Amino acid sequence: MSFEDGGFTRLRIASRSRRRLLALLGGLLATPHVHGQTNRRAAPGTPYAQVLPGTPLRFPRDEGSHPDFRTEWWYATGWLESARGPLGFQITFFRTRPELKLDNPSAFAPRQILIGHAALSDPAQRMLQHDQRVAREGFSLAGASPDRLEVWVDDWSLKQEGGVLRARIPARDFQFDLTLAATQSPMLQGDKGVSRKGPQPASASHYYSLPHLRTQGTLTRAGRTEILSGTAWLDHEWSSSYLDKDAAGWDWIGINLEDGGALMAFQMRTPQGGKFWAGGAHRAANGEQRVFEPGEVDFTPLRSWRSPRTGTEYPVAWRIRAAGLTIEVTPLMDDQENDTRASTGAIYWEGAVRALRDGAPIGRGYLELTGYWRRLRL
Amino acid sequence: MLAWLGATIQAVSAGALRDNPGRSALALLGVVLGVALGVAVHLVNASALNEFTLAVHSLSGESDLTIRGPRAGFDESAYPSVARLAQVHSASPAVESDAQLAGRRESIRIIGLDPFRAAQVQPRMFAAMENTVTGLFDPDAVLLSPSAAEWLGLNPGDTLRITVGTATVALKIAGLLPPGAYRQRIAVMDIAAAQWRLQRLGRINRIDLRLRPGTDVENFRRTLLPLLPAGTEAVTPDADIERSAELSRSYRLNLDMLALVALFTGAFLVFSTQVLSILRRRTQLALLRVLGLTRPALTGMLVAEGALLGMLGSTLGVVLGCALAAWVLKHFGGDLGAGYFRSVSADLQIAPAALAAYWLFGTAFAIVGAAVPAIEAGRRAPALALRAGDEEEGLNRLHTTWAGAGLIAAGLLLTLAPALNGLPVFGYAAIALILLGALLLMPRLTTLSLRRVPAWRFPPAMLAVAQLQATPRQVAISIGAIVTSFSLMVAMLIMVGSFRQSLDEWLTGMLPADIYLRAARGTDAGFLTPEQQENIAATPGVVRARFMRSRNILLAPERPPVTLLARPVDTTSGNLPLVSAPFTLPANAPPAVWISEATADLHGLHVGDELRLPIGAHPTMFTVAGIWRDYVRQTGSIVIDRESYIRMTGDRLANEAALWLAAGNTFAELEQALHLRLGAAAGIEISTSRQVRIESLALFDRTFAVTYALEIVAVLIGLFGVSVSFSAQALARRREFGVLRHIGMTRREIGMMLGCEGALVAALGVGFGLALGCLVSLILVQVINRQSFHWSIDLHVPWLALAALASVLVVAAIGTATWSGRRVMTGDAVRAVREDW
Amino acid sequence: MLSIRNLDKSYRGPGSRLMMRGISFELAAGEYVAIMGESGVGKSTLLNMIAGLDLPDQGSITFEGTELTTLDDNARTVLRRDRMGFVFQAFHLLPHLTVAQNVMLPLRLGGAAADKSARMALAMLEAVGIAALASTYPRELSGGEMQRVAIARALVHRPRLVLADEPTGNLDADSARQVLTVLREQIVHGTGAGILVTHSVAAARTTDRTYRLTAEGLQRCEEH
Repeated sequence: MSFEDGGFTRLRIASRSRRRLLALLGGLLATPHVHGQTNRRAAPGTPYAQVLPGTPLRFPRDEGSHPDFRTEWWYATGWLESARGPLGFQITFFRTRPELKLDNPSAFAPRQILIGHAALSDPAQRMLQHDQRVAREGFSLAGASPDRLEVWVDDWSLKQEGGVLRARIPARDFQFDLTLAATQSPMLQGDKGVSRKGPQPASASHYYSLPHLRTQGTLTRAGRTEILSGTAWLDHEWSSSYLDKDAAGWDWIGINLEDGGALMAFQMRTPQGGKFWAGGAHRAANGEQRVFEPGEVDFTPLRSWRSPRTGTEYPVAWRIRAAGLTIEVTPLMDDQENDTRASTGAIYWEGAVRALRDGAPIGRGYLELTGYWRRLRL
Repeated sequence: MLAWLGATIQAVSAGALRDNPGRSALALLGVVLGVALGVAVHLVNASALNEFTLAVHSLSGESDLTIRGPRAGFDESAYPSVARLAQVHSASPAVESDAQLAGRRESIRIIGLDPFRAAQVQPRMFAAMENTVTGLFDPDAVLLSPSAAEWLGLNPGDTLRITVGTATVALKIAGLLPPGAYRQRIAVMDIAAAQWRLQRLGRINRIDLRLRPGTDVENFRRTLLPLLPAGTEAVTPDADIERSAELSRSYRLNLDMLALVALFTGAFLVFSTQVLSILRRRTQLALLRVLGLTRPALTGMLVAEGALLGMLGSTLGVVLGCALAAWVLKHFGGDLGAGYFRSVSADLQIAPAALAAYWLFGTAFAIVGAAVPAIEAGRRAPALALRAGDEEEGLNRLHTTWAGAGLIAAGLLLTLAPALNGLPVFGYAAIALILLGALLLMPRLTTLSLRRVPAWRFPPAMLAVAQLQATPRQVAISIGAIVTSFSLMVAMLIMVGSFRQSLDEWLTGMLPADIYLRAARGTDAGFLTPEQQENIAATPGVVRARFMRSRNILLAPERPPVTLLARPVDTTSGNLPLVSAPFTLPANAPPAVWISEATADLHGLHVGDELRLPIGAHPTMFTVAGIWRDYVRQTGSIVIDRESYIRMTGDRLANEAALWLAAGNTFAELEQALHLRLGAAAGIEISTSRQVRIESLALFDRTFAVTYALEIVAVLIGLFGVSVSFSAQALARRREFGVLRHIGMTRREIGMMLGCEGALVAALGVGFGLALGCLVSLILVQVINRQSFHWSIDLHVPWLALAALASVLVVAAIGTATWSGRRVMTGDAVRAVREDW
Repeated sequence: MLSIRNLDKSYRGPGSRLMMRGISFELAAGEYVAIMGESGVGKSTLLNMIAGLDLPDQGSITFEGTELTTLDDNARTVLRRDRMGFVFQAFHLLPHLTVAQNVMLPLRLGGAAADKSARMALAMLEAVGIAALASTYPRELSGGEMQRVAIARALVHRPRLVLADEPTGNLDADSARQVLTVLREQIVHGTGAGILVTHSVAAARTTDRTYRLTAEGLQRCEEH
């Protein structure tokens, strides 16, 4: 049933150009942290809600789904300690609202598409393991609650249960059952939760993060269940805007710092590899938050790894300067390449990284690198 | 010595071929045609079936189980409840509809899928779909399979117009399905779009299930069944294929059998060729025996000749058959006329096993045909054979009367046996035995009847009768050739003629009104709403309107669905052609339904039985009040009074209307008025009952076209047989002709003599063939037809056609006989007389 | 009654070879002659040309004033049927007709009524001495008997000319003698003219005169 053999997301939904490398769904999978551009293709009668600066976020209501927006995701990444060392995991739920004539009264009408994606980075496996589930909303088989965090595709789910988040992911090669408990208040990104993604003011998202989630639970692989614990990071972001067509890809990090602080930074690259836009924020353990201007963030590649499968070269180690803070990130393992050509049509790198300052570890988090295989065009 | 003997044998064998290459060629052609026909029919059928199997597989993908409902579908709420079962890995719901193409008679199957779900059970279908789908979520978007696009002559970007209800829906062809995924003509839509556009909101037709590894499919199926809505079933894809294959199985077997008949006739040709060739060479063969060839060696040599003929003929036949099948598939598709594989465009599937089987059949038949006279030749005392005038003696030993009578008796007994596995196997066996028995009876019957031929005064006729009376066994072979082919032709003619006549009468009874109106012909998307029905009934010029609703229901999961026809029933006026005795419903019995013969046969129902039908909210009990004849729905149908149906289901839709025209109104006027009143009702088809009849009979004729073709070939082979035996005898009688010429008979008189012989032989053959054919036709009508198609036929003998055919055959035989004599007489009579053996 | 002038005949077929050249021959009514010669020299061919079954390449055959070579096949057949009789070496009786039916055949073909034909046939069988065998089939007869039947068949319609091709070739000496006697009797009694083609000097001696057919032509043998 997986993407690998299925390839259903090659269905080019609502696409004008067949040349588009990433379609709506694929684009969501590959571009979780960046939006761009105004919505040029909204069909008449399908008004997508727009991100309006100054709209306050209210919890727990805003933990739930925002079905009027084109896209939304809950993106949990983190590190887990196993008996044989640390593991990285990523559990994501996407919601997308296709451009439709909304008047189809069918219960099957694809009003919302829900996608679950999960990956496990185990250095012992040397390779990323991942799996997906996709379904249209309806019949209670897949959906996202607008009132609180509850999103599910078949038996994959992420939901608020008794004050903690519960993620149940029975994927093909591994099965997670994790609780993620908040230890800090939500970290509102950008301007009080409105995050700019490009030079155009309309290109923005509602975005908050939950860093330092205390994570506990089980991982079952090949019939063997391990009890694990660790720290995770949840991004929740919704928007109706897309990536600017001048951007070729992006780099993103989200790091839980050992001092209790949290760091998020991203840059969007031009086709030449230069910085197109950038942003991020640092929140100290005491809750003091510094939001970065585009000019304050610099990504400098330190070391590259070439994928033996695709020949793509990824800068897997970086020096990142964000305002006054300079850190280096190095991967948990080099090969955390996601080959989703069969599904999203994209190949990208996303994996667990360590953050170091002056050679000393200061935190752990996730790094995402896109647009290195081929230029991403949205 | 041995080498010399070997060379002599070769010379004798090769000499036989060289002496009469034409006759050997005819025998060869008989085998070639027989095998070729068998191979072609089999390959075409097998290719169509294989294609069909592939189609089912590509539709159901890797699903372990398919939940399937009637044509009208079942409530979609079944989907989430099934999908949530712990054993279910993935569930893919689908809407299926045969939608009529606007402005055309054909329909196309539209499948509405949830691509996300379908990808889980049909990965292969979606794997190759890169860049072909743009905007499947658009409710008007549709994907065509390449064969459908080719058939319709449409390309991506074009519009596909279909009829839904009585309105036309325009769909945009968003792309083509990958070539490998679907070979049949289908269109794919998003399930939501299909529900909406095809007016199927809330209903689905199918759920394909992939079960979690380790689930026992059969166990799960049993636990699933009680959870399913009424009228649905859960079948494995194989069962699905099996059921569909079963539908066409009888028809395919019929064609195979006809092809085998051609092969059998070909084998008989080998037999007669060999008999006559051995007779002609009897002194040479006797000489070989005198020279020291043992009896088995002689027999072996003669059998080998037949085997050679058989192998050569079979090889050519297999090659010709493959070519023929490829040609038929290319130009006519996999459907041989009956419509079972209408939407299948098949590629030739060469099945080596089947080819080998037909090759062996052909060779074995030829060997058997040669072995009978060869064994006889081996047994003959050489000294006797060396004497002239021994031709007839040589055949005396074929004592066959009792064996023939025994075979016929056995055949008649077999007709009492029931169908085996739904197939009339014993019926066919009975025909084979009776045919064989009749052939064995031929020498005796020929002798008896020739004795009764009066002595004629006209010298050529007198000579002809004397000749025939003197050689009854040789004559019997010629007669046998005619009987074999003519009896089968007669049987088929009577069967098809009876069927056609019965159908014609049935249509007359079933179409009492003047005009028939139907919504989107032959599909399930079309219907007339109650408002439209009122509108139709109120149209000026309509005296009376009767509406019918038809839908499919499942009576038994392992059987194909049965058509439920809700219509006014008036058993007294005979608007339902009942075949059962009148039956009065007991006072407190459940309401009445009338079942078709097929329903009665397939579901083992009798008049008075009670029956549960899944209509309405809950399955309801009914009483079988009668059995009627239905020539349309082979899988069975059930008639229910429309008033009761509406009371029970609330379903006021109708699919068809029968209209009675007011006096003074023409069809054209009413047609126009109806079109005007129903507005943009492109999906309404209006025809007169005459048109419907003509169309139905045309469909019937198309179905039997292949049958006719096969028959004609069998008859041709039979005529070859006559020609072979006549020309063989003409050759053997060259000397006699010479003597007659010396005595003073003119060529014309000799020709007349031969013509008389031909006429007599043909007349006898036709007579016996007619009698045998009538017997076989009874078996075809009463046993094979009934067991295959589950409907009865009234016997009608098309005497005129039979008489015409008989005359054609007699004339052909006279022509053949005269022609073969003329050929012989062109050689000079002088030399013939001097030939001393 | 029969006059042959300058008859040429070649074998048809590949490498056609001249068989006879310049044959001339006269036969008067009442004459019974023998023609002898080597095998393959064309004796039977000559007989067939006389019977109108074969045509010469050159020359004329006049039978009772009719030029045979100008007649068509049908006319020649009718002439043969009415005025000639044929006896073969291999008897050539029709196996599925009785002796009487065989003998009747020329009469019936000539249009005679059945009862008259039957009477004449029986008389003829009487004449050749096998009336008792009338209703038997040829295969039940000995060679001599069969040849008597053949003679009866050849003479039953009282032909003007009887053509006998090696009638004793298949018979033992005794039978041969009897057959030749019957033949001569019948020809001399009834018909008047006959030609006997034979190898046997003894047979030839039963005729009035003997001719020898060679490549050079037809010569009368004086030693007779």
